[in-house]
Amino acid sequence: MQNIRTGFVFDESLNSSFLAELFEGDTIYAETVFEDFLRDLPVYWERVEAAYSSKNLPVLGTTVHTCKTLFGYVGFTDLQELCQQFENKCSVNSVEELRLEYILLIQRKEKAQHIIEKEYDRLRLFNEMKD
Amino acid sequence: MKLTCIIVEDIQIAADFLRKFCEKSDLVEVKGHFLNVEEALEYLDKERVDLLFLDVEMPGANGFDLLDRLTYSPMIILTTSKTEYAFNAFQYHVDDYLKKPFTYKRFQEAIQKLQQKAAAAQTPATPATAIPAQNADTDFLFIKAEDKLIKLKKDDILFLESMRDYVKFVTPVKNYITYSTLKNMEEKLIGPNFLKVHRSYIVNINKIDDIRGNTIYLLGNQIPIGKGHKEDVAARLNIL
Repeated sequence: MQNIRTGFVFDESLNSSFLAELFEGDTIYAETVFEDFLRDLPVYWERVEAAYSSKNLPVLGTTVHTCKTLFGYVGFTDLQELCQQFENKCSVNSVEELRLEYILLIQRKEKAQHIIEKEYDRLRLFNEMKD
Repeated sequence: MKLTCIIVEDIQIAADFLRKFCEKSDLVEVKGHFLNVEEALEYLDKERVDLLFLDVEMPGANGFDLLDRLTYSPMIILTTSKTEYAFNAFQYHVDDYLKKPFTYKRFQEAIQKLQQKAAAAQTPATPATAIPAQNADTDFLFIKAEDKLIKLKKDDILFLESMRDYVKFVTPVKNYITYSTLKNMEEKLIGPNFLKVHRSYIVNINKIDDIRGNTIYLLGNQIPIGKGHKEDVAARLNIL
């Protein structure tokens, strides 16, 4: 879907109508947020991995909760839902029971990170051309 | 009128968005950003602000812990990505609830609502402020309730409870609800026998039967003592 106000077209896997409303045509700020996302997500994800390895479910739930919020700011609203479900299960399930869902979450996170890397590059180019 | 605020938020992107929205609105001045409850409380112990943007889930203590320990009552906007806190938010009388990530439009709606509230609180002749003779030296007060000005003897009041934009006066025989804020009551009406023991409660210390743990018992009512008010309560009640 095209962001009518700026002409920038977000990747179809992102919730572009929400992003258009969030950034209100400010592609420079969008670039900053996408850059920040790429800076912060690996830091939080390390905590997710550490919590999973140590079977610390309360911390696992909290760190996934933080990642969920980050995904929201770059338009991954569907991934937010997946994180929410995982977060909820952290308070009732064991690490063993969560294994398959954890693997799915990793796969989705990797894919999301890759998409945002590409979107960030595109935003940067778009903004450079505007200048 | 520009509101002063602090942002209590552990996610940098979320805090940056909020700061940007505040600047864009030109209605809110950000005095600081704190990554956790302890740092925020340290600041709030020294400085007063009109408004807190408060995340709920943070490392260590959460946003509700901060509210328990606050010794005064700024306006509160909870910022969270979970809707499950809505009930708690209602119990803590927070002023608004923004689900992250939120848009500038939603932010503006919340701020405009708070500005109206702040302006109403500053208006000198709000219904509950009643007649000029009403001050800390008199042994009565007038409150507007049930479409009339009702004279209440201060000694008859058991406690006052905040109900968002209203205050409930509880007496042994009847309760009265009036349009005002607890802050308004605390500043303008209450005399030396009254003590704020919680963000949402002011009690008549003469009416206290006993205190068990963090709960005050008075005439069958149980009033929580806020963490941030414990020292004041102990000092005022001469607890040995």
